[in-house]
Amino acid sequence: MLETVPRQNLLTLSGVGKSFGGVAAVSDLDLCVPTGSVTGLMGPNGAGKTTLINLISGMFRADRGTILLDAMPIQHLPSHEIAAAGIVRTYQNVRLFSGMTVLEQVMAGCFLRRGTSLFASFLGLPKARAAKLRTEAEARVLLERVGIADRADVLAETLSYGEQRRVEIARALGARPRLLLLDEPTAGMNAQESERIGQLVHELRDAGLTVVMVEHNVRLVKDFCDNVAVVNFGRMLVQGTAAHCIAHPDVQEAYFGRSRDAERVKAVG
Amino acid sequence: MEALADFWAAYQSTLGFVVVNAFFALSAYAALSTGVLSFATVAYAAFGGFIGAQLVLQTGIDPLLALPAAGLAGAGLAYAVGLLFLRLEGHWMALASLALVLITRVVVLNAATLTGGVNGLSVPYEVSLGALVVLLLIAMFAFHRLSVSWYGIASRAVREDPAVAASLGMVPRRVQTIAFVISGAVGGIGGMLLALTLQFLAPDTFFINIAFTMIAAVVLGGSYHWVGAVIGAAVFTALPVVMQALVPAIQDVANGAALLLIMIFVPRGLFDPRALALRRTPVAKAAGGPHA
Repeated sequence: MLETVPRQNLLTLSGVGKSFGGVAAVSDLDLCVPTGSVTGLMGPNGAGKTTLINLISGMFRADRGTILLDAMPIQHLPSHEIAAAGIVRTYQNVRLFSGMTVLEQVMAGCFLRRGTSLFASFLGLPKARAAKLRTEAEARVLLERVGIADRADVLAETLSYGEQRRVEIARALGARPRLLLLDEPTAGMNAQESERIGQLVHELRDAGLTVVMVEHNVRLVKDFCDNVAVVNFGRMLVQGTAAHCIAHPDVQEAYFGRSRDAERVKAVG
Repeated sequence: MEALADFWAAYQSTLGFVVVNAFFALSAYAALSTGVLSFATVAYAAFGGFIGAQLVLQTGIDPLLALPAAGLAGAGLAYAVGLLFLRLEGHWMALASLALVLITRVVVLNAATLTGGVNGLSVPYEVSLGALVVLLLIAMFAFHRLSVSWYGIASRAVREDPAVAASLGMVPRRVQTIAFVISGAVGGIGGMLLALTLQFLAPDTFFINIAFTMIAAVVLGGSYHWVGAVIGAAVFTALPVVMQALVPAIQDVANGAALLLIMIFVPRGLFDPRALALRRTPVAKAAGGPHA
């Protein structure tokens, strides 16, 4: 018998719940994200995927349950402390800073690693200057990595939607996170662009990053996600490999409705 | 040549007020650059102005040496105001700061030992126009250094989207508190300079009129770059004077009309770095996704 060594989980959610008014957006949800993996988060619209990302990144505070990063509980931390702990995210509807160039957006992402005090930076001390040049160079490398280095000095809002998504990923990578949360990174992209994002995610994983991505494209999930978690009505439907999850009858039902056969079986049974 | 000398004599004082108003506009800009609309500059100016003036009156030191004290007084008050007010949401913050302006006047009227109460405070000291201009240049240089420092990117991020800024590890409240301290220092120095320019501080010197002038200057000049505050202060201060010389009939409405025209046709103000950047990349403008 094969004895599989249990892999370390970077992120562990247990019993997490969040309600808005009387509506439970997420309830009693468990999720494990193994270190160094790509976890795909699937589920129909309104299933609670983005709420889940908001809870993990500290934008919302969970009503119930615990969220552990390694062994550290983070469910009570404000979002800037969660960022400092190593979790950075992107947004379903791109949220770049208006009026900033592409390079400046990514440098804003490098804020946590600015490596110089405000005072030194204000005075333009040599150390602060060197630190700024260093982050600028790093920001350009990140833009190279997501494939938009040539647009570094234009206003980000003039880029196409797909390009803006890549700027957001570069901005998030600027913080050098341990866990990257991507909320529908390929929305509005064509097949070729989506494929590139998938490959980028694999490169990042191979470099040691753990990724959670909300993704609707089943083929992309199959190709690029090591694990899949499917949520529906704020609950965890099923968690496992992509093939296992997609074939699961509950998932089929959530996405495509109940099959005629199932109806008949139910009627007869 | 003589005409030029006359012109200079007539408009020298206007230039002095341009500098003073530029300090107030920069103070308003400092808060606005992190997304906070605050009228509290009036309170910082009053505190800095009276403290600085009293320091000069009591000790007889050079007024320019008392300026740092005025700046510190303004900064200290602004820090306290920031701690109390920055927990309020956007428009409540603005209203609270307006209430502070009203309170300032009552305090000025009643704290007679510091302010001279209803009689006002005579400050028989002069500051040369040259010194005023040099001081403004120093303030502008400081704002330039801030804008190219880490604080520049952080303040813009916090202004545009505080939630996203926080998710990148910035602490919006902390960035805004720094902005308030800067606003207070510049406002306090502005208050002292106003005292030296007027040579008299009345209970109504630091009141709604300053709040109106500085916000109008920032709206006129543009609130997305410190240069806009200085340009706005210059235009807003000089326009009535120029109009009085050219078309006296419309002197009183010149500023109002200018504000309306700016708000309708260039809502981001006369100096807009974003518009300049867009002009640099005309080709890319056609792009932009479904949300752009």
